[in-house]
Amino acid sequence: MHIVVCAKQIPDPETPPAAFKIDAATNKVIPAAGIAPVLSQFDGIAAEAALRIKEAKGGKVTVISLGAESAQAAIKQVLAMGADEGVLLKDAAFDDGDSYTTARALAAAIKKLGDVDAVFCGRQAADWDMGQVGLLVAEELGWPVAIIAKGVEATDSGLKIQRVLADGFETVEMPLPAVVTVSNEFGDPRYPKLPQIMAAAKKTVTPWAAADLGLDAGSVGKAGARLQLQKLFIPEKSSKVELIAGDTPQEQAAALVAKLVADKTL
Amino acid sequence: MAESTNRPARPQRLVGAWWGPAVGLSALGFYASATLPADTPTREIYFNIPQGIWAVYVFMSALVGLLVYGFVRHSSLWSIGKPTPGVLRDVPQRLRNAIRLGMAQDKVRRDRYAGIMHWCIFSSIIVLTLVTAQVAIDADSPLDFLHGPYYLFFSFYGDLFGVIGLIGVGMALYRRYFAQMHRIRWDERLEDHLIIVGLGLVLLSGFFVEAARIMVTELEQHPDWARWSFGAFTLAKGLDVFGFEEHQLLSFHAASWWFHVSMAFGWLGLIVFTRLDHIFFAPINAFFLRTDSPGRLAKIENIEEQEVFGVGFIQDFTWKQLFELDACVRCGRCTEVCPANISGQPLSPMHLIQDLKAHLANVGPAIAQHRHETGDAGREVSPVALIGDVIHDETLWACRTCGACVQECPVMIEHVPTIVDMRRYLVMSEARIPATAQAALENMEMRGHPWRGTALERTTWMEGLGEVPIFDGSQDYLYWVGCSGSLVERNLPITKAVFRLVKESGASFGVLGQEETCNGDPARRLGNEYLFQILAQQLVETFKAKNVQKVITNCPHCFNTFKNEYPQFDGNFEVIHHTEFLAGAMQTGALKATHAVNANVTYHDSCYLGRINGVYDAPRQILELVPGANLTEMQRNLSKGLCCGAGGGNMWQEEVGERRVNHVRSEEAIGTGADQVISNCPFCIQMFEDGVPAIHPEEEGRMRPFDIAELLEKSVFGETVTAGEQSS
Repeated sequence: MHIVVCAKQIPDPETPPAAFKIDAATNKVIPAAGIAPVLSQFDGIAAEAALRIKEAKGGKVTVISLGAESAQAAIKQVLAMGADEGVLLKDAAFDDGDSYTTARALAAAIKKLGDVDAVFCGRQAADWDMGQVGLLVAEELGWPVAIIAKGVEATDSGLKIQRVLADGFETVEMPLPAVVTVSNEFGDPRYPKLPQIMAAAKKTVTPWAAADLGLDAGSVGKAGARLQLQKLFIPEKSSKVELIAGDTPQEQAAALVAKLVADKTL
Repeated sequence: MAESTNRPARPQRLVGAWWGPAVGLSALGFYASATLPADTPTREIYFNIPQGIWAVYVFMSALVGLLVYGFVRHSSLWSIGKPTPGVLRDVPQRLRNAIRLGMAQDKVRRDRYAGIMHWCIFSSIIVLTLVTAQVAIDADSPLDFLHGPYYLFFSFYGDLFGVIGLIGVGMALYRRYFAQMHRIRWDERLEDHLIIVGLGLVLLSGFFVEAARIMVTELEQHPDWARWSFGAFTLAKGLDVFGFEEHQLLSFHAASWWFHVSMAFGWLGLIVFTRLDHIFFAPINAFFLRTDSPGRLAKIENIEEQEVFGVGFIQDFTWKQLFELDACVRCGRCTEVCPANISGQPLSPMHLIQDLKAHLANVGPAIAQHRHETGDAGREVSPVALIGDVIHDETLWACRTCGACVQECPVMIEHVPTIVDMRRYLVMSEARIPATAQAALENMEMRGHPWRGTALERTTWMEGLGEVPIFDGSQDYLYWVGCSGSLVERNLPITKAVFRLVKESGASFGVLGQEETCNGDPARRLGNEYLFQILAQQLVETFKAKNVQKVITNCPHCFNTFKNEYPQFDGNFEVIHHTEFLAGAMQTGALKATHAVNANVTYHDSCYLGRINGVYDAPRQILELVPGANLTEMQRNLSKGLCCGAGGGNMWQEEVGERRVNHVRSEEAIGTGADQVISNCPFCIQMFEDGVPAIHPEEEGRMRPFDIAELLEKSVFGETVTAGEQSS
C-alpha cells in the first residue's frame, strides 16, 4: 500500500509567550529569533499511523509538505521515522494561500505520484487549527474521508477507522483510495532510530513547483485563496481589580452580592 | 574516585596493609631471636610423612595446571570483547592503582569491619604461603636456613598469622551466619560456604599438625623452642592432658597432615571455580581502571560509520568490561549504596554485573566458536536478548549515574559506563525509551534545551538586575547559566544570586543570554550519544568563536561536561563551579559575608560536584564563613553522599518502585533537624522542593531547600534580590 502523509512545518507552539510577536502591518507572525519552526505535532502522529500500516502490510510511505525551504527539516523528520520518500511543494506562487489552495496543490501532487492508495493528514495544523486541508484534499481527489481518527487499521478491502466523536467513538470501514485525518488520541509518534536518521539525512527531497503540478499560478497561493484574513492580533488581556469595602467579612460579602446583582452577574 | 583531587590528603590507616605490620614484627623478631643462645633449634621437614614430598609436588602440579586451565577458559571469554582504547596509557598511574587499590586494598577498607576481616585473611594467606614456600626451599634446595634464631622467629610469625587468619575467618563466619541479613547474603551461593569453612579448616588443621609434632619432638625435649610456636604450643599443652601415646600422636599427626595439605591445595583450587579468583583479578582490574575522570563517558568515534550503536550484544562490550565481570565478588557494596536500590527500584548493580557474567558464561563459548569459524560478529548466536531478556530496560533506566557503586566497588568495577553503553543501544539502535525521557530528548533536538513546555526565555532571569554584561571575549569569565538556571522558575533566584555575587566580587565576566544551548549532558547520560556530539561540537565552536577561556557554571552537570567531556571535542576550558568561585572570592576578601543568616542547615553533596569531581571543601568553607549558619551533616555525606534521584536523566523520567529517591534523601535531610537543606545543583534543589513536602506535609516548620548561593546572597547583601517575589 502506498500512503502519502501530508506534513506541515509550523512556528514552534512552545514559543515562550513573550517571544511571540505579530506584525500588524502585514498581518503575519514574526518568526521568533532563535526558535526554529517544528513539524506540526498532529502530522507526526499521522506519519506514525501510516508507518504502522506499512510495517503490518508492506508498501511505502511518501511525505509531502507545502512550504518554504526550511520545511525540508519537517520532511526529514518523517523520513527519519521511516518514510521512504519526500516531496517539497515550493514555489513563490504558493505563498499566502489558504486551506483551499494548499489542498489543491497537495491533491495535484498526489495525483502526480499516481499510485497512491491513501492520504493521512493530521487532524489540524497546530498553528491555525482550522482542520480543513484533509477534507479539502479528499474533495479535490474525489475520495472518501474519515476525520479525527484514533485508530487506523488496514483490512483486506480497505481501512478500518476508529473515530473520536464528541460523546464517544465510532468505527467505520472505508474502501481505498481514501483520506484519513489522525488525532492525538492515536498515540505518540516514534523516536527515530539513529541508522534511520542518518539514512534520512542522505535522502534527497524532490522539489515540485506549481508548474510541475500543472497548476496555474493564478489558482494557488494568494491569487487563488478564497479566505481573506482581516486582522491578526494577540488578544489583549486586561484585568481590573476593585476592592470590596466593608469592615467585617459579613459586610464584605453583602457588598459583593450587591455588586454582582447590580452587574447582573447574579 | 576523584576524592583526592580537592581534599587534603588524609593519613591512611593500615596503609601498606599486610606488609607494614609484618616488617615491624620481623625487626622485633630478629632482635629477640638474636639475643638467644644459638643452640640451633630446628625441626625435621616432612617429619613423620615420608611420602610427603611427592604428594606436595603432585598437588602443586595439579594446582598449576588448574590455574592455567582457569585462565585460558576465562580469557577465551574476555577475548570476544572489543578492543579497549587507552588501556596502556598512564602505566605509572595504573601501577600505582594496582598497588594502592589492588594490593593495599584502599576500597576494601571503606567498610571498617570488612576491612579488618579482609586484612586478617589476606595477610594470613600471604604470610602462610611465604612460610610454606620457605619450607619448600629449605627442603628442596641447597639452601638450609630454617634453624637457629631465624627458625624460632619463623615459627613465631607463622603461628601469629595463623591466629590472625583464624580471627579473620571468625569475623567472616559471624558476618555470614550470625549478623542480621547482610549484603553479602543478597546473592549467596554454595561456594561462599566452602571458601570460608574450608579456610577455617585449613588453618585449624595446620595448628593440629604442628601441635602433634611438638608433642612428640619438643614438648619435653625443647620446650623453649616450642614456645615460639605459641599457637600450636598452647594447643599441644591442652592436648597433653589426655596423655596420648606416642604412636597415637604419630598417627594423628599423619592424618591431620594429609587432611591439612589436601584441604589447602583444594582450597587454592577453588580460585579457578569461585569468586576467589579475585585474588588475581582485583589487582589486575585496578591496573585496568580508568585513569581519567570518572565523570567522563567514552566517546563513540566516527559515530556515523558504526554498525551497531552502544552495546546490545555481550560481545560489543570491550574486553575490559567483560574482564571486570569476573572480578566481582558479590559483596553487595554497590547495591547497598545504590540510590535506586535503596528506594526499592529495579536496579541492583551487583545483580546486573552477575547477570552479565552469567550471560557471558552461557553464550560466550558459542560466540567465540562462531567467530572462529565464520569471522563475523556472531550477533545472532545468543538465543536470548542481552537487553530485554538478561537486563531489563527499566533496570537500565533506573540508574542515576551517580557513581556510588563505582566509588564503593572494592574490585574497581565501573558499572556506570557499562549501563550507559546499554542505554546507548536502547536509544540509538532500538529507539526504546520511556516517553518522558523521549520528550526531553526531542526537546533538546528541537529547542536546544530539555525543559519541554517552559514559558521562560533564556533572558527572563535578567529582569530586575540592571545591566547584565554579555560575554564578548574581553572579559575573564563566562558565567554559564544553563538551561535549568534560566528556564525553570525555581532556579531563577539561584541564577540571580550567583550573578549578583560574581558581580559584587569585582570579577570581569559576561553571559551568553539567548546564545546558550544545552551542552548535551542529559542526552549523553540518557544514551543519545549522537545528539550529545552534535550539541557538544556546536557549543565548543561557539566558545572558541567567542574566545572563552574560563567558565563559571551554575550546575554541576554543565560543570562536569565542560570540564571532563569537552576535551574529547578539543574544547579545553578552565571550568569552575560557582561554589569554588564564591569560596575563592571569600578567601581573598572580594566577598564579605556580613549579615547573620541564623539558620540550622544541612549540606547535600550533589553527585557530579562531590563524588565525581571531588569538590567537597569549597561549599563547606562558605558555610563556615557565613555568620549564623550552623551546619549539621547528614550521615551519608562527602563521597558517601546519596543522590537526590535526578541524575542520569532521571529528572525527566517517571520513577518505578517502592519509593522515590528524593523522598528518601529528603527524609535524611529532615532527620538532621535542619531548617534549610543547602545544595549546589538545580536538579537537587528541584528534587528537594518536591520531596520535602511529601515527607513533611504541614507547611508549619517545614525545611526548605536553597542553593548555597542563595544563602550567601542573604549574608552578603542582607536580603535576596527576589525576596519580595518569594514572599508573595
